[in-house]
Amino acid sequence: MFYRQCGVRHVSYAADWQLWPLRFERLQVGALLLAAASAPLWLPGLYLGSYALPVIIFATATLGLDLIMGRAGQIHVGYAAIMAVGAYTAVHAVRAGAPFEVGLLAAGLASALVGLVAGATALRVKGLYLAIGTLALQFLVEWVIVHVPAIGGGAQTTLQAPAVRVLGVAPVTTLGARYWVALAWCVLVTAYMLNVGRTGFGRALVALRERDYAAAVLGVHVFRYKLLAFSVSSFVGGITGAVLAFTYYRAVTPEQFGLDVSIQLLAMGLIGGLGRVLGSFLGAAFVFVVPIVISTALPGALEAAGLGLPVAVLSHLQIIVYGALIVGFLLLEPLGLAKIYDNVRSYFLVWPFGYARRTMG
Amino acid sequence: MTLVFLTELAVNGALVGLMYSLVALGIVLVYKSSSVFNFAQGALVMLAAYLVWAGSRVVGVVGGVLAAAAAMALLGLGIERFALRRMIGQPLAMALMLTLGLEILLRGLGPAAWGADTKRFDLGLAEAPLFLGDVLVNRTYLAGGAAALVLLVLFALFFRTRVGITLRAVSDDQVASWSIGIRVERAVGLSWALAALAATVGGTFWAAVQGVDWSVSLLLVKATAVAILGGLDSLAGAVIAGFAVGVTESVVSGYLDQVVGGGTKEIVTLALILLTILLRPHGLMGREIIERI
Amino acid sequence: MSARTPRWLVGVLLGALTLLGAGLAAETGAAEKVFRFACACDLTKVYTFAVEEIVQAQKDYVELLNLKGGVSGHRFEFLVEDSGNEPQRALEIYERFKRQGALYFDGWSTPIGKALTPRVLEDRIVLGQMFVGRGDAVDGRTFPYVFPMGATYWQQMARAVEHIREREGGAPRGKKVAFVYIDSPFGREPLPVLEELARRLGLEWKGFPVPSPATEQSAAWTQVRAFRPDWAIIWFAGPSTPAAVREALRIGFPLDHLISVVWIGESDMKVVGEARARGVLRVEGWHTGRDVAVVQEIVREVYEKARKGHGPVERVGWTYYNIGLAEVVQLEEAVRVALRTSGEPLTGEKLKRALESFRNFDARGLRPPLTITAEDHGGGQLTRIGQWDGARWTTVSGWKAPFQDVVAEQVRKSAEEFRRSGR
Repeated sequence: MFYRQCGVRHVSYAADWQLWPLRFERLQVGALLLAAASAPLWLPGLYLGSYALPVIIFATATLGLDLIMGRAGQIHVGYAAIMAVGAYTAVHAVRAGAPFEVGLLAAGLASALVGLVAGATALRVKGLYLAIGTLALQFLVEWVIVHVPAIGGGAQTTLQAPAVRVLGVAPVTTLGARYWVALAWCVLVTAYMLNVGRTGFGRALVALRERDYAAAVLGVHVFRYKLLAFSVSSFVGGITGAVLAFTYYRAVTPEQFGLDVSIQLLAMGLIGGLGRVLGSFLGAAFVFVVPIVISTALPGALEAAGLGLPVAVLSHLQIIVYGALIVGFLLLEPLGLAKIYDNVRSYFLVWPFGYARRTMG
Repeated sequence: MTLVFLTELAVNGALVGLMYSLVALGIVLVYKSSSVFNFAQGALVMLAAYLVWAGSRVVGVVGGVLAAAAAMALLGLGIERFALRRMIGQPLAMALMLTLGLEILLRGLGPAAWGADTKRFDLGLAEAPLFLGDVLVNRTYLAGGAAALVLLVLFALFFRTRVGITLRAVSDDQVASWSIGIRVERAVGLSWALAALAATVGGTFWAAVQGVDWSVSLLLVKATAVAILGGLDSLAGAVIAGFAVGVTESVVSGYLDQVVGGGTKEIVTLALILLTILLRPHGLMGREIIERI
Repeated sequence: MSARTPRWLVGVLLGALTLLGAGLAAETGAAEKVFRFACACDLTKVYTFAVEEIVQAQKDYVELLNLKGGVSGHRFEFLVEDSGNEPQRALEIYERFKRQGALYFDGWSTPIGKALTPRVLEDRIVLGQMFVGRGDAVDGRTFPYVFPMGATYWQQMARAVEHIREREGGAPRGKKVAFVYIDSPFGREPLPVLEELARRLGLEWKGFPVPSPATEQSAAWTQVRAFRPDWAIIWFAGPSTPAAVREALRIGFPLDHLISVVWIGESDMKVVGEARARGVLRVEGWHTGRDVAVVQEIVREVYEKARKGHGPVERVGWTYYNIGLAEVVQLEEAVRVALRTSGEPLTGEKLKRALESFRNFDARGLRPPLTITAEDHGGGQLTRIGQWDGARWTTVSGWKAPFQDVVAEQVRKSAEEFRRSGR
C-alpha cells in the first residue's frame, strides 16, 4: 500500500548500498527528522522536557550500549557507571572554565579510558564473569563518586551543571536549546550506528559476537577489537552521560547513574531488540514512558473500577509491572519491539496481496 | 583487650559471613546445573522472608517456615518451567536479564502484598548478650551460621543420593546427561527448587536479624561476592568464602574505619569481587573451565 | 524464536498505546480555585517507613479540609508519586507536577531536596523540608523559596548534646560519646557540630560509620562496645534504625543513654519489640499522640463519619503521621493568610510571603511555636527530648534551641559556599 514495492530493482551499487532502499521509507525518515527537529516549536513544554528530551538521550545511551552488547556480544552491566564518569568529567571541566565542547570531548575520553580498563578484564574473562566484572565496575564508580569529595562534591551530593554555550556563542539555557543539543548528538550517534555495521570494524565485532575462535581463525584480532569495542562504546556513553547531565538534569548525582539505571539501559536494549538501531529508540521510549503512564493512568483506572488502592501499593505495583514487562518481553518476543515492527512492516509491504513473496523483509 | 576485640570482630564477622553464604548457596545451586547466574536470589530470599513472617503469624514459627518452604519450592519449580526453560539456546544476556527482571518483579511483590513497613519477625531467641568467655556473640547470628553449616552438610548428603547424582551429572555435561536418559530440564527445575529452599532458610534468619522488608533483597550484592569468591559451582566454596568475606569485612572495618573515617566494609566486598575476577576467576574452589580469548 | 509476533501481543501493545494517550490526556486540564501541593517522595525504598505515614496524614487532612469546603473557597489537592528516593526521578516528577500547577513541594529526603533547590529558586515554587534537607536552607536570604520550618540536623545534634550536658549535671567533661551513623551525606551532616561541641564541652567522642543500607551493624557495635561509651547518639533512617537499637540491646547498652535523630517512631519500636525498646531517647520537633484537637477531628470526621481514611486508623497520631499532618496545617494557614493579604490567584511568591508572616504559630498544637521571617526559615528550631516508655513517647526535656552560635556558624559557612559555587 504505502511501500509500493514489488521486488529489488537496483541498477547501481550505490542504489544497493542505500540505508533505506524504499522511497517511502526515505520519506518516513525525513518526516521524522523534520518533526524531531521542529519539536520545540510545536510540542508543549511538558512533553518536550519530560518525555521527548529524556527519551532521545536514553535512546542514544542505548545505542552506545548496543555497540558493545548487540554488535560485539559482550555483556555490560555497568554502562551507567561509564556515563557517570563522562558526566562528572564534563561538569568538572566546565565548572573549571573549559568550553562546553571541550568538556564533552573530555567526558568521552575519560569514559573511553575507564571503558578500556573494564575491557581489559574482558581479555581475562568473558560471558558471565565479564558481566560480573562490569557489575563490580558499577559499584566501584558509585563508591568513588560518593566517597571522594573532589569528584562527588562531598556532602552536597548534587552538583549543579553550569549554563553553557555552544561554540562560545549560542547559550544553551532554554528547553528548546537543550533539546536541540541532545538531538544533534543523538542524530550523530544514530548515523554512526546505522553505518558501523557496514565497516570492517562493525563486521569484525559481529564476527566476535558469533564465535570468537572462528573470528580469530579468520584473522580478526580478537583482543584489539574487544578493546576497541569497549572504548568506542564508552566514548559514546561518556558524552551521552554529559549530555544527560547538561541538558536534562542540569545536575549530577550518583543516583542518576546507579545500578538501576544500568539495568534500565539493558532493558531498553533487550526490549527494543539487540543489534537494531530502531530497537534502541523503541526500547528507550517504551521503558521510559510506560512506568510514567502506569503511575498516572493506573490510579485513575483502578479508581474507576472501584478499587481505590493505597498509594504505597500502587507504587509497588509499578515495580511489579516494570519487572513483568522485562520478563514478558524476553519470553514472548526475545527479538524485541524492533521485530514486532518488522512483522508489521513486512505485512504491509505487500498488502493487500498477502500471498506475494516478501522480498524486502 | 585488643585480642578480645579482634576475636569478637572475627567471630561475629564469621557468623555474619556464614549467613551471607545462606544466600549465596542459591546462586551456586542454579549455576551448577544450568550455568545461569541467578540475580533473582536476593528477591527470592526477601519473598521467603515475607512468607515465613506471614505464615508464622498463622501457624507459628515452625509451621510458617515449613509452609513457606513448600510455597518457595513450588515457586522455584515454576520459575524454571515457565521462564528459564524458554531461555535454552538464547544468548547468555537474555537469561541474565530474565533473572534481573524476575528480581525486580519479585521485589515489588512482597511489599505490595503485605505492606512496605518493616515487619518484625522473632525466632524466639533471647536478645540479651551472650558471652563465650570474654567474647560477645549474637545468638541469632550463631543460629544462622549453624544453619548454613547444617544446610551444607544436608546438600552434601543429598548429592550422594540417586537424584543428587543425576544433578551432578547434569552440572558436568548437559548433553552427555541427556544422551544417557537423564531429564535435564527436570534436574534444572529441581536445582531452582533447592535454591528456593535455601532462600527460605536464609530468609528466616535474615528476617530475624533485620526484620522483613524490601531491603532484605539487597543481600544479593554480598551473596554475589561470596559466590564469586567461592567459585560459582562449589557449595563448599560458597560456605568457606562466606566465612572469609565475613571475617575480612568485620576485621578490616574494625581497624580501618577509625583511620579512614568512613565505612570501609562495602569497599572490601568490592575489592574481593574485582580481585577474584582478575586473579582467579574460578574462585577458591570452582572448576577451572573459564574460556579466555 | 517466533518468526511471527503473536496477534494478542500486538493487541496488548496497541492497548498500551491507547492507555498512554489517555494517561497523557488525563494529565492536562486544570480546575478552578484549587491549591495543589505535591510530594515526589520515596514510597518503595529506604524512607518508605516514614513517608507512608506522612502521605496517609496529608491525604486524610486534605480530605477533612475539602469536606469542610476547602480553605477560603479553595479546594486542596495533594499530588503524590513515588520517586524511589532517586533525585533524577524526583526532578522528572517535579517538572510534571509544576506544569500541573503545584505551588509547594516536599521530597522528604535530603538528596531530593538538594537536587530540587536550584530549580525552586528559579521557578519561585516553595520547597518544604521539615527535619530533612540541607541545613543551610534556614538562611532565607540565600534560599528564599526553601522552608525547613523546623530543626536542621545540626540543631538536632546540638539538642542531643545539650541533653547529655543536662543529664551529666552540666559538667560532661571526660564523658565518652559514641556517634553511630549511616555512612551517607545524611549521616555525616552533623559531624562538624558534634566535633565543635565535643571540643567545647570536653567530651571524648568517636564516630562509627556503617555503610548503607546499614541493616547489618554487628561489626560497628562490636567496636562501640570496645570503646565503652557513656552515651550513644544514633543517626539512621528506615530499617537501619531498629537494627541499631537491637544491636545496642545485644551489647547490653542502656537504652536510656541512647539518643536518636528524629527519624524513629512507633513502627520502628514495633520491629525492635515495644517492651524491649523501653528507654530509647530521641530528638523531636513536633507533638506525637492523639491528644490534639485536630487529630481527634480527623479520627471523628474522616475515619468514623466519612469512612474515607487513607490507611490504618491505628497509625493516626503516630510520629510520622503527625509530622505530615503538621506540614499541611501550616500550609492551610499559609494559604488562608496569602488569600487574605494578597488575594487571588495564588502563586508561589504569595505563599512564601505568607509563610514568612508566621508569628508563634503552633500548627493547632502540633508544633512548638513557629516564628518564620524572611531571614530565618527555621522557625526557631525548637526541639525537645522524647522517650519511649514501652507503649508511647513521653517527654523528658522541654523545648529548647541550644548552642545556636555553633549551628549558625555552620549555616553561615555552608550558605556562603552555596552562593559562591551554586551547590
